Amino acid sequence: MRYIIKYLPLFFVSCLLVSALSASSKDEKYRARISLERVKVMNDQSYINISVKYKGEDGFEPANDLTLSVYRRVNEDSLVSLGQVITNSDGMAKFLMEDVIKTFDTTGVYSYTVAIEDDERFRDADKTISFSEANLLIKIIMIDSVYNISATLTDEKGDYLQGEFLQVGLKRLYGSLVIGQDNYETDEKGTILVPLEERMPSLNGNLTFEVVLKESDVYGTVKASVSAPIGIPIEDESTFDKRTMWSPPNKVPLYLLIFPNLIILGVWIPLLLLTFNLYRISKSKKVES
Amino acid sequence: MQSYDQLVEDLTPKKFGWKGKVWMIALVLVILVGLYSYIQQLRNGLIITGMRDYALWGVYISNFVFFVAISLVGSLVTAILRLSGVQWSTPLTRIAEIIAVAAIIMAGLTIIIDMGRPDRMLNLFLHGRLQSPIIWDVIVITTYLFISILLLYYPLLPDFSILKERYAGSGKVREWYSRLSLNWTGTSQQHRIYGRSIKVLSVLIVPVAFAIHTVTAWLFETTYRPGWDSTNFGPYFIAGAFVAGAGAVIAVMFVLRKAYELENYITDEHFDKMGKILVLLCLIYIYFNINEYLMPFYKSTEEEAIHLHSLFSGQYSVLFWSAIVGGLVLPVVLLLFPAGRKPLPLFIVSLAVVAGAWWKRYIIVIPTLSHPFLPIEGVPESWRHYFPTWMEWSITSATLAMALLIITLLVRYLPIVPIHETAEERGLEAHTTTKP
Repeated sequence: MRYIIKYLPLFFVSCLLVSALSASSKDEKYRARISLERVKVMNDQSYINISVKYKGEDGFEPANDLTLSVYRRVNEDSLVSLGQVITNSDGMAKFLMEDVIKTFDTTGVYSYTVAIEDDERFRDADKTISFSEANLLIKIIMIDSVYNISATLTDEKGDYLQGEFLQVGLKRLYGSLVIGQDNYETDEKGTILVPLEERMPSLNGNLTFEVVLKESDVYGTVKASVSAPIGIPIEDESTFDKRTMWSPPNKVPLYLLIFPNLIILGVWIPLLLLTFNLYRISKSKKVES
Repeated sequence: MQSYDQLVEDLTPKKFGWKGKVWMIALVLVILVGLYSYIQQLRNGLIITGMRDYALWGVYISNFVFFVAISLVGSLVTAILRLSGVQWSTPLTRIAEIIAVAAIIMAGLTIIIDMGRPDRMLNLFLHGRLQSPIIWDVIVITTYLFISILLLYYPLLPDFSILKERYAGSGKVREWYSRLSLNWTGTSQQHRIYGRSIKVLSVLIVPVAFAIHTVTAWLFETTYRPGWDSTNFGPYFIAGAFVAGAGAVIAVMFVLRKAYELENYITDEHFDKMGKILVLLCLIYIYFNINEYLMPFYKSTEEEAIHLHSLFSGQYSVLFWSAIVGGLVLPVVLLLFPAGRKPLPLFIVSLAVVAGAWWKRYIIVIPTLSHPFLPIEGVPESWRHYFPTWMEWSITSATLAMALLIITLLVRYLPIVPIHETAEERGLEAHTTTKP
């Protein structure tokens, strides 16, 4: 009993140390930061862009190969599991929402939660994104012989959304080329009208314009695009399939294939005959004798 | 009066004396040092050279152009003079043919030396593009080498037969001469085939010789670079090659005449005539040089002006003026006087001409690469200037030594002056067979 009393404080200290060590080992996990962006492409996909970063030894680094759970938040406190996604080498993932049951709360807001759960490298964390539905209608109209891009932004019920800022661009191979101002504010009819004062070049004359409501706090990102044959057609000047001086060996210009080879034959046939003449000389002795 | 036996005795290849042996050892030593450097290049790559992003062709390529130039002498002395019916050149034909063969072999080897990965050489043939002047050069060099060997070999057939008789009972040497003579007995049929073949070869080698120099010029001319972007380059290269080749023949014929006591065959008159030919060739080359430099200087576009400044008064001016004045202008002035065309003065002049020709190729290749139309970004300042490393010099010296070694070995076993042709010209006929 005396021993128990004597070593009791030591026992408690040991327990404290063990628990502290245990806690510190949990602290070794990184704290990750989740960023979410909801993107809706009209007449196409709706998805959530997910980006996860953590503060590593070299500053903020992408959390790659990380499994994330995606939930649909219903009635404030209920979470419906929708599935999982895994981040790529850039710490990015994309969760398609096409099969999700469309239910919203009384205010018409959709909420999704993305969570890190029971990961070996990262502490548990989650992030919720809420948005309302919006639709963007885009068309090209001609006013006074000038083509205009008309875009109308409405909410889910079809009411016009005034005072939102839309960006207009021309789609190119590696991105969008801004047209006109950086952005245009929608009027009371939720509409912008952007004149296309100069004709632009494109393959086959087809131009694809894109109007974007960029990272709106309420609606997220909404994109719509329209194509029209109103560009100046670019003639394909590629010589890839032609026989040129810069083609690979199997596409040598015919004149270069014919004339040098004729010259080569014209020189080498006499040379071979001259070599054969050496043989004739060596045999001629026997003939004469 | 000289007898046939005396002529054969005089012109039969002779063993090396002590001077010949020392000469051979010296050449082999130079080659061994070059071989060591080349092994280093094979192991470490072209980093052992001074070539970088700017000067991606260096002394190897200028040396290659020099060898190609020297090889033209085969067509000059052998073919052109033969077709012209010039008989005085007979004692010089073999020397010219030997120099041509040695030079063209070394030209081919020098290109391989310039390759960073010679183990990939087969790709040149597997994936070569007929649009590229480099492929044209490969084709034309191979063709020229083959013609040069034939042109050396054909006139040797009767000589091999003569040597076979002379070395009767001498075992292996006779056996080799016998094999190489291809049963030559001088029958009318053999003479007919022989005469016709040499005539065809003499005609054939002229356009191929012109092609090899023109195509080598096109390697440079097809690029848009100051100093190379010229329509004058083909004939300019041919004119320069004639000068270099003639200079080489004069230098070699002087040394061989002295070493093998051939004064009765290679006479002062030969030197005098070769001296006159050299003057003519130098004047033609000076004319092309004026065209090549005066017009760009007159127009002085920005890039050409920088390039020409570096030649006329800049970094390369000493080399440039030495090559022009010492290798062309002074030789012309000296050779205008009969005393300048005597063997020894002409020999010294020919050495200056050959040295000038070598450096001329250097200043054709290097300065242009130092001044590209578009600057190359992100390279150290030192890469903008080129000077060969000692390993490059040793490899280049080894190639020159190898060319001289080939010439030395060929003159050891082949008659320097054609025996059969000389005997015919002098009206001498074989009547006895003598043993050495």
